[in-house]
Amino acid sequence: MKMITIPKKEWPAGLAKAAGSFRLFGPVKEKEFHSFKRLDNGQLPDFSFLNTRLSPKHLVYPQSEVMLTYSLDESRADHHIMKETAADTTPRAVLGIRPCDAKAFVLVRMNFDTPDYQDPYWLRAYESTTFVGLGCESPCSSCFCTTAGCGPFHEEGLDVLLADAGDHFLANVLTEKGAAWVAAGGWTQTADAKAGERLAAMRKAAEAKITSEVQTKNLNAAETTGLYNASFWEEVSFACINCGTCTYSCPTCWCFDIQDETRGKSGVRMRHWDSCMYPLFTLHGTGHNPRGTKLHRVRQRFMHKLKYFVDKYDRGIQCVGCGRCVRLCPVNIDIRRVCGMMNSLAASGEACAID
Amino acid sequence: MLSYTETIREIAGRLLTSGAVEMVIGFRKGTVPMMNEPHFAKTPAHAQALVWDSHCGINLANYLTDRKEKIGIVAKGCDSRNIVTHIIENKIKREQLVVIGVPCLGMVDKRKIAMKCPGEITEVIEDEGSVTATGSGFSQRFEKKDVLQHNCSLCIHRNPVIHDELVAEPVAEQQGVDRYADVRSLDAMSPEQRWKYVEDLLSPCVRCYACRNACPLCYCPTCFVDEARPQWVGKGLDPQDVRTFHFLRAYHCAGRCTDCGACERACPVGINMRVFTKKLEKDCLDLFGWEAGLSIDVRPPLDTYRPQDPNDFIK
Amino acid sequence: MEHMGVEPGRLQFSWISSAESTKFVEVVTQVTNAIKKLGPNSNYTKKLAEVA
Repeated sequence: MKMITIPKKEWPAGLAKAAGSFRLFGPVKEKEFHSFKRLDNGQLPDFSFLNTRLSPKHLVYPQSEVMLTYSLDESRADHHIMKETAADTTPRAVLGIRPCDAKAFVLVRMNFDTPDYQDPYWLRAYESTTFVGLGCESPCSSCFCTTAGCGPFHEEGLDVLLADAGDHFLANVLTEKGAAWVAAGGWTQTADAKAGERLAAMRKAAEAKITSEVQTKNLNAAETTGLYNASFWEEVSFACINCGTCTYSCPTCWCFDIQDETRGKSGVRMRHWDSCMYPLFTLHGTGHNPRGTKLHRVRQRFMHKLKYFVDKYDRGIQCVGCGRCVRLCPVNIDIRRVCGMMNSLAASGEACAID
Repeated sequence: MLSYTETIREIAGRLLTSGAVEMVIGFRKGTVPMMNEPHFAKTPAHAQALVWDSHCGINLANYLTDRKEKIGIVAKGCDSRNIVTHIIENKIKREQLVVIGVPCLGMVDKRKIAMKCPGEITEVIEDEGSVTATGSGFSQRFEKKDVLQHNCSLCIHRNPVIHDELVAEPVAEQQGVDRYADVRSLDAMSPEQRWKYVEDLLSPCVRCYACRNACPLCYCPTCFVDEARPQWVGKGLDPQDVRTFHFLRAYHCAGRCTDCGACERACPVGINMRVFTKKLEKDCLDLFGWEAGLSIDVRPPLDTYRPQDPNDFIK
Repeated sequence: MEHMGVEPGRLQFSWISSAESTKFVEVVTQVTNAIKKLGPNSNYTKKLAEVA
C-alpha cells in the first residue's frame, strides 16, 4: 500500500482526532513495567519500552470473560434462557504493538477461526481492532524472533507498521483498516520515494542486533515418538514448578476453561485462561489424568509449541520469539535450550548431552 | 559465597560416588542474567554443573515433597527450616536426606537491580561484596547489601538449622533486626487505607500461582483454588477472588512460613505477597513464641493444644 | 483479617457449648446488633464476577 510520514509534533493532535472514531489502547507504565491499557483522552502511548511484561493478547482475548448470563427466577420473562453479554465492538486501535505480538495473533487465529468452528468472542474482538505496530530498534537479548518466523520489523498481523525515525514516524500502511486509521488521524503526508529504502535499512539494522536464536530446521521431519520418548525430558522438567507464568505471558498460548458462577438465582458463564501446566488441566471426569506428572505436562508444552503445531499447520513453530517465558520463568526453563535439544535429537537420532 | 561452588561440587561428587545419595539437588547456571535453574545431578560428572551465587533464591526444599529417593540437597538457612517443616509434616523422611548446608549471606533482588539500571541488563558479574550489571551503554556496580531481597535483609537465620555437611564456616547472624516494621506500618493505617493498599498490591495478579507453586509449604494434592465441587473461590480475575486466594494461602502457611522469599521472587508481575505471611508470622511469634522450622523435635503450635494458648479473643 | 482491611468488629469469636442455649441466644443477638450497626459490608463481598 503506501507510506506516510507522521511528524512527531503532529502525533498527539492526530491521536486526539483518531480518538473520535477509535477507542485507543497503548503501552502504559504502571509501577515497574508496561502493559497495554485503554488510553484516556489526551493520554499518549508510552513508546519508551522494550516490550510489555505480559503479552497484549488480553486485549482481544480477556483473561476472564463473561460469555453468557442467565436467571433461573421464574417470575422473569427470560428465565432459563441464556443471553449473550453485550460487548463493545466499536472500532479500536492498538498502538505500539510489537511485530512479534502481532504475528502471534495470526497464529492464534488459526485455532479460533477454522472452516468448521469459529470463536465468536475472539473474532469479534479481533476484527474490530486495528493493529498499529511499532518496529523494534533495540531488540532484547532474549528476543529470538528472526528464527521464530518473524522479526523486529515483521509485518504479518499488522495494519500499519510505525518506524521511529527521530523527529517523525514512518508509517507503512499495510491494509485498508490501517489506511482508515491513518485517515482518522488526519495524517496525509505521503513519505518520499526513499522512505521504503530507509525502512528496509532500519529493518536490517534491527535484525542484525538479534543475538538469540532457536534451531528448528529438523523439527518438521522429526519422528514424533522419537522426540516424545527422549531421555532428556526428566532433566528439562525437573525445575518446573507447574505454574502458569509461561502460558499466561505467551502471546501464542490459547487454552481456556469454561465454567458457570451463580449467585442466588442468577448466574454467568465465563471463560478463563487455563494452563496446560496445571495438574488439573487434563483431569477426566472419571478421575483419570493422562498428564498426571510434571514431566508429562512440561513435555507436552514443548511438543505442542515445537512439534505438534509444526506438523498440523506447516507454518513453523507456535512461538514468535518474544522471550517472555524465558525472562519470566521463575526457575529459568529456557525454550531456546529445549528447542535446541529437540532439534539436535531429531538430527542425530541420539540424546543430547546435558550441558 | 562464591567459593561455595567448588565445595558444593566436591561434596556432591563425593556423595554420589559413594552411593550415599541417588541424586543431589542444587542449582546450575541460568541462561539469563541473575537467574539459576534448579537442577539435579545423578552422577559425579553431572555434579560439576552445580553452582552457587547470590541468585539462588528459589527454595529447593520445594523439590523434596513426597520423593522416595535418598537425596543430597543444597540448603541455605531458610531452605533448611523448610526441610525441618517437611520432616515434621511427613513429606520427607530425615533418613532420606543428606543436607548440604549453606551459610547464606543473602540473595540479591534482580528487580531492585533492574529498576536502577537505565536499560536491559545483558550481563551480571558478582564478587564477594558487590554486583555489577552491564547493558548497552551502561555498567553499574551495586553493593550487595543495598540490593538484597527484602526477606534476606531481615534474615535472622542465615545458617542452616539442620545439616549433614556444611559448605563453609557459619556466618554471623544479623543482630538488632526489626523484622516487622512493615507489618506495623500497615497496622497503623486505617481500615480504608489498608483496603486500598491491598487492592493496589494485588491488582497486577494474574492467578498464575507461581507464588503458590514455588512455596515448599504448598503441597496439597488439590489446592483450594482448584476445587470445583464445591467451589470455594472463583478462578478468574475478579478482585474478590484474587484477594481470597492470597489471604487464604497466607493462612494455610501460618506458623509454617520461613519468609524464604521464593513466592515474591517467583511472581512474574512483582507482587510482594509476603505482606500477608509476615503478619501471620508476627502473630505466631507474639501469641505462641513460635518461629517455624527450627527443630525437628518440636510440634508447631497450630498442631497442638496447650492450656496456656491465648484465647482472649474468644468472648 | 483486620490487617487485610476487613473492618474491626465484623469477625467475632465465642465459645458456646450445645448445652448453653441461653448464651447462644445472647451472643447471636448481640453480634447481629453489632454487625448491623457497622452497616453493610461493602468491601469483602463477592458479587457476580467483576471481569471483562
